[in-house]
Amino acid sequence: MIALLGKLRGKHDRAVLLIVFWLFLALLGPLCSSQDPGAIGSQPVFSSPSITHLLGTDYLGRDTFARLLNGIRHTVILCFASTLIACSVGTFLGIAAVTVRPWLEAVTGRLADGFLSIPSLLFALLVIAVFGTSTVALIITMGIIYAPGAYRTSRALAQRIVRLDFVTVARARGESTAYIVLQEILPNMAGPMIADVGLRFIYSVLLLSNLSFLGIGVQPPEVDLGSMVRENMLGMVYGSPAMIVPVAVIAVLTVGINLALDSSRGKG
Amino acid sequence: MFSVLDRRAVLKGAGLLVAGVTSRSAVSAPVSGGHLRVAGAVGSASESFDPARQSMATDYIRGHLFYDGLVSLDDRLIPRPALAETLESDDFQTWHIRLRRNVRFHDGATLTAEDVVFSLLRHQIPSTGSQRYALARTMQSVRVLSALLVEVVLDAPNSDFPAILGISNFAILKAGTTNFTIANGTGPFRCQEFAPGIRTIAVKNSEFWGAPPFLDSVELIAIPDEMARHNALMSGDVELIASANPRLVQMLKKNGFGIVESPVGTYTDLSIRLDQRYGRSADFVEGMKFLLNREQIRQSVFLGFSRVGNDQPIAPESPYFNTQLPQRPYDPEKARFLLKRSGFLDETIPLVCSPAALASVDIAVVLQYAASQIGQKMAVQRVPADGYWTQYWMKEPVGFGNINPSPAASLSFEVGFASKSPWNESRWRNPQFDTLLREAKSTRDEVRKRQLYWDMQALVSAGSGVCIPNFTNSLDAHAPHVCGLRPSQAGQLMGYNFARSVWLSGSRGQEI
Amino acid sequence: MAKRKQGAGDLNRHLPALIGRRIFAAATSLAFVIVTVFAITNILPGDATDALLGQGATPQAIAAMRHDLGLDRSVFLRFWLWLWGVLHGQFGYSLLNGLPVADAIRPRLHNSLLLAGASAAVAVPVSLFLGITSAIWKDTLYDRAVSVLTLGMVSVPEFVIGTMAVYVFAVRLHVLPALADVASVHSIGQFLRAFFMPVASLALVTLAQMVRMTRAAMADTLSAPYIEMALLKGVGPARLILVHAIPNAIGPIVNAVALSLSSLLGGVVVIEVVFTYPGIAGLMVDAVSSRDVPTVQACALVFCLTYLLLTTFADIVTILSLPRGRKA
Repeated sequence: MIALLGKLRGKHDRAVLLIVFWLFLALLGPLCSSQDPGAIGSQPVFSSPSITHLLGTDYLGRDTFARLLNGIRHTVILCFASTLIACSVGTFLGIAAVTVRPWLEAVTGRLADGFLSIPSLLFALLVIAVFGTSTVALIITMGIIYAPGAYRTSRALAQRIVRLDFVTVARARGESTAYIVLQEILPNMAGPMIADVGLRFIYSVLLLSNLSFLGIGVQPPEVDLGSMVRENMLGMVYGSPAMIVPVAVIAVLTVGINLALDSSRGKG
Repeated sequence: MFSVLDRRAVLKGAGLLVAGVTSRSAVSAPVSGGHLRVAGAVGSASESFDPARQSMATDYIRGHLFYDGLVSLDDRLIPRPALAETLESDDFQTWHIRLRRNVRFHDGATLTAEDVVFSLLRHQIPSTGSQRYALARTMQSVRVLSALLVEVVLDAPNSDFPAILGISNFAILKAGTTNFTIANGTGPFRCQEFAPGIRTIAVKNSEFWGAPPFLDSVELIAIPDEMARHNALMSGDVELIASANPRLVQMLKKNGFGIVESPVGTYTDLSIRLDQRYGRSADFVEGMKFLLNREQIRQSVFLGFSRVGNDQPIAPESPYFNTQLPQRPYDPEKARFLLKRSGFLDETIPLVCSPAALASVDIAVVLQYAASQIGQKMAVQRVPADGYWTQYWMKEPVGFGNINPSPAASLSFEVGFASKSPWNESRWRNPQFDTLLREAKSTRDEVRKRQLYWDMQALVSAGSGVCIPNFTNSLDAHAPHVCGLRPSQAGQLMGYNFARSVWLSGSRGQEI
Repeated sequence: MAKRKQGAGDLNRHLPALIGRRIFAAATSLAFVIVTVFAITNILPGDATDALLGQGATPQAIAAMRHDLGLDRSVFLRFWLWLWGVLHGQFGYSLLNGLPVADAIRPRLHNSLLLAGASAAVAVPVSLFLGITSAIWKDTLYDRAVSVLTLGMVSVPEFVIGTMAVYVFAVRLHVLPALADVASVHSIGQFLRAFFMPVASLALVTLAQMVRMTRAAMADTLSAPYIEMALLKGVGPARLILVHAIPNAIGPIVNAVALSLSSLLGGVVVIEVVFTYPGIAGLMVDAVSSRDVPTVQACALVFCLTYLLLTTFADIVTILSLPRGRKA
């Protein structure tokens, strides 16, 4: 993962720039609106855009624009963090399973299969029961839910790479496992792995809204983008921006990040 | 002495308002025939035909299709004779129930006193898992006097016993019933198909003892997802839905769909435990009551489809509603003063809410915002719906509950506010209240009874830790050709009992 | 190529042992899942009596009910009794309505398999085609368009896709039904009408992962030295893709397909909800929230078996496709 990041930093300005842009928006965005995302006045619900409410109001008559900025903050920070955790842990274990000892593969492989076939709902409820509803618990839950998938992908990739000639040559040269992993395996699996990271990021955005719905994580009146879509779903029949705009922002955020990751891979 | 009921009915009389819009097309004469597809809002794979275990609206609808009670509650919650022909008592403690003759179960058996005794007593057996276990325990003895006569002795006088028998959990089964995959009741429909959580198909029972229903058959499904339920109505996949969303009423009306608004006594309340941390301070409790912006909740959360509450459980349309009790206003200044005096102004108050308690998350958000305006921090804690009633409800210092309407005022008071009730949400103990309640349940004097109820409302509103910001209105939506649906205080879809009165207009009646 | 042939020779000798080992591994995972799911469902606060008694619960009624359902017995005893039943083909009775769990699962599993099968039949060929072609025409306008479209589809929450589809096609245009009513499907035409929207929605959301992984794996393979070598030797493009590239990229592709397909059974709660489709995912969610342990266990067993079947297959394919055979 470190090598992946290093690679990004070195050559791939577009992806880095985009990620920095979203982080920037997450941190400073909420300052751009004079409205309080939790403020409930006497405005009608699902109203159309106006001077005071740039994107109209939501299902409770709150300012959609202010809530959108708040939603971007939670979604970007939580999903970046949990995707990073899931992919680091998954990649690390996936490579370890292939390069270290056969028994490690046996153990991690069985655990990953197990976790993948246990419904995530059960995990989520368990985490709420044990840790309560906190941001850290939320990030960890999402990390746990997506790490096994990343593990499987990275293991499949690594299995293929370790059998290629250059790895055998490196082994024969007497290089250390660490060297082989960092210099030979990681760079060569970076491409498909990045495609995987991007997808996992998309899933985490959607999962976040499902978890918020269950009760874990982002608590009202704070909101994440997916939950914002969900709570304003009825606005669909009125063509309300409260439902449409967050959908569009999710699409721009996730597709943008994926395309940037793709193009950085293309250059590498 | 069904006069008990009649006198009450006379007293309630014309002054009662049943708010709401009656179906526009209800003017034409009823037509027989047709198949009605109905979607309820809740459903699960664990549904059964056991009336004792019914706890969700869709269960009640299913129950009313196939079963009858001894008594049925009309649109104004007035008990009317159903399987019981008469219900008599001299002291409100010993009740004699005379059954209707020649009533047949769907399997052909005739209704007898044995069936009634079985149906009532099974609620007292814990393994039945009855929703009305505690209420059933107030029946000290239930015995057969003759083939059509049953005697029930209560542990204390209760003039509202007929209303209790109107609760759909107390539906009458054939004695010895243990298989609940099929419904063998006396109701207007027979069960043709039942797939738990998927659908129920009911066909007209030609041997029904009462007025025959207009519909030939009813198909009941559950569509829990709000948008999906409304979509199914608008696309014509179903013709009647329960729990229409206030936010879609405007659009439904514009597209020609009918809306029936029923003033049911359901409320979502904020309960503050008087025996825990915050609630020990009377200032805190009163401050919270002044901080609830009831009108705002009515407008923003319920879009006007609710009635403002006054921290007591009797809804405005009840004949016992205390009209002299001043409405508690939204007064942030006073709230701030009281909260500051309670010493909790500097603390963050946790508000526990859940999708399980209707609209509680939204009400919590409104309250939290009002609090933030006076410098009182509150943290909304939304918790999962499953297990909410047993894991969080009544256990948190400040949390939300959701109370379904009771068929009688005495029952609302008894369950939620009597000192010994396990459902006394705020653990409010008031001996004076208990005395008044006992008297109200046994008095024969209607004027006295009303006075007692008024006093009790004043006591609850002033002292208990239960804050009732609004009473919810139930909304049903239907296709234009569905007729005969009326608002009812007894619950959604005409007190879950629409299938006995609804008909399909025009060619729809014969078609399909 | 000589190396691959040698690998194939190895393989024939070791194949049975290899598959045996994979199946043993799968069984271990299954055991792990069964124990874990049972443990979690029992650790979660509350039990089936909560769902049964709800707001009307009193401590006395709860205690009696727990005794009646056997919930007052130790966790180990209950697990053992359950396991014993399963080994004898008995999945037990729902704690909620006392009906056999197998009866509740059977029709729903049938529905779910129908939906999953139809979705897979649409999604797999389409995604393989899109993935392989966009790898071949990498960085062209076509490639970008496929990327943006598939990503766009998966990034929109599935409840939005499903609900909007219903609103447009059922409510506004009246061309398709809003509910996927399986019970009234009696002809191919009805099947297509009822399943069009759920299948399309599911295919759209599962497409992205398969397309992207296929494209990535193919692109990597196509840039490998031996492909260039083959190209230099004058191998035709069709032969190059089918004989040289696909076999080498098959591991990750099959993995991605297996993972996507395994989610078509248990991971479709949202689609089931939006289309009011009575499938097994919704049953599991219901059972989890009411702590109906026997039903949860049976559903978990079904999901886990499906998952293991698919991934074990993918694992075996991966190993068979490795450049030098499998690990010795």
